Amino acid sequence: MYIQCNNISCSYNKQYQIFKNVNFEFSRPGFHALFGESGVGKSTLAKIMSGLMLPDHGTIINESGSSQIIYTTNQERLPGWQTVQMHYNSVFPEHTCDNWQHMMNIFGIDHCLQSKFNHLSLGQKNRVNLIRYLFQDYSALIMDESLANVDENMREKIILHIKKKFPEKFFIYISHHVREICKFCDQIVVLRSVNHSPQSIQLNGQNLLNNTIDSGKLKENMLEIVHAT
Amino acid sequence: MQHSRIIQFFILYISGLSVLFIIKYSLELSDYVMPSIFDIAYTAKRILPVYMHAVIESMFIAVLGHMLSIILACAIGILGRMHSFLGILIKAGAYQIQAYPVVAIAPIIFILLGDGLLPRLIITSMICYFPLLLTFVGVFTEPVADIEHFYKVTNSLSWALEIKIRAYEHRKKILTVIEGSAILAMVGTIVAEFLSAESGIGYQISIALSQSDMSKVLIALFLIGLSISIYLTVLAWGLWTNINNKT
Repeated sequence: MYIQCNNISCSYNKQYQIFKNVNFEFSRPGFHALFGESGVGKSTLAKIMSGLMLPDHGTIINESGSSQIIYTTNQERLPGWQTVQMHYNSVFPEHTCDNWQHMMNIFGIDHCLQSKFNHLSLGQKNRVNLIRYLFQDYSALIMDESLANVDENMREKIILHIKKKFPEKFFIYISHHVREICKFCDQIVVLRSVNHSPQSIQLNGQNLLNNTIDSGKLKENMLEIVHAT
Repeated sequence: MQHSRIIQFFILYISGLSVLFIIKYSLELSDYVMPSIFDIAYTAKRILPVYMHAVIESMFIAVLGHMLSIILACAIGILGRMHSFLGILIKAGAYQIQAYPVVAIAPIIFILLGDGLLPRLIITSMICYFPLLLTFVGVFTEPVADIEHFYKVTNSLSWALEIKIRAYEHRKKILTVIEGSAILAMVGTIVAEFLSAESGIGYQISIALSQSDMSKVLIALFLIGLSISIYLTVLAWGLWTNINNKT
């Protein structure tokens, strides 16, 4: 099982090139990361990977399973007329009720069930949005800043829970938190601006399954990523 | 604050009347051209029941025509949002029909259907439906990407849900145009009655015009303005209360 990007090239309006022969591979299921400075094209690459955009050249080989690659971002909203509960009832099969309620509890948003989406804080909105994706039919989920505005402890708790709950799926996490990425991600693709060659560098993270960590190794790993950007 | 429309109408009507009296007395116009306040009051006492009945009838047709045009515009908007040949054809057809002035088409409608309720209803709908159509087509073709994305990537976006999302997200735009087109509905009804009907306040105005009776015209205008203000007040109250309860 793998997801492979081969020689991806893409430009806006055939003028401004964003990607030139980008190559990388997530070779096994797990919690991976797409990292890079703002504006290098992480979200665009994620949209290409999920089929929302077409590249000018290159191919995406999705051998992650029988289902599709889904992209979610922190910019999404729920329909305004629904409460969180109403929405979840409309998008989840009835038998998953216990699962998502348990997940809401772990994500610290169980008290938001009767609230409307626009009455929630940004962090709560992102968690509510993420849960509805986690229970969909996908083999890979790209999480574009999906845990933005959530405090560090809760983010770590959520990531660990996702890793434990869905070990057979691919997660591609886009975030600017270097420490978090090093700590919890398995394979890390560092994306650089188009004038760097190669444009993407692949590194390995600590891929922790709990919160215990060798801080020396973590620092080394973080430096490696920062140097690669 | 909804009743402010009625207050605004009274202010506007009194201001207009005052301007007419200023013109009358400054140019020393005769009572035949511009009647005195006593003449207007006397005429009002005499014809008010007839005019009240006529304005209620016109209002009934205007409301009915307004509702009909909302349904029509909504249906065409839903069909016109499709990117298929049918959608493009419906949209182009709807715009083309509107390119003809309704007043010019009205005689055909009266010749074919006579001067009863139906032709008045059709003309009313035709006059007030175009702004509604533009809004509905605009709203239904404008994606709400941040909400629709989830449904699209999970293959669960039905056409009914898509319309519901878009209508809900643009509800203020829709309600504003519904309010605005209510005035056009009344205008449409009066135009239809003025052209050919044998009842309604538009018909009464056409008679007053043939008699050159300014008092009757002013009374008719008062009743038309008042009825529109009341309708808009009720409409706005109903629509916005509903919206505020849902948000």
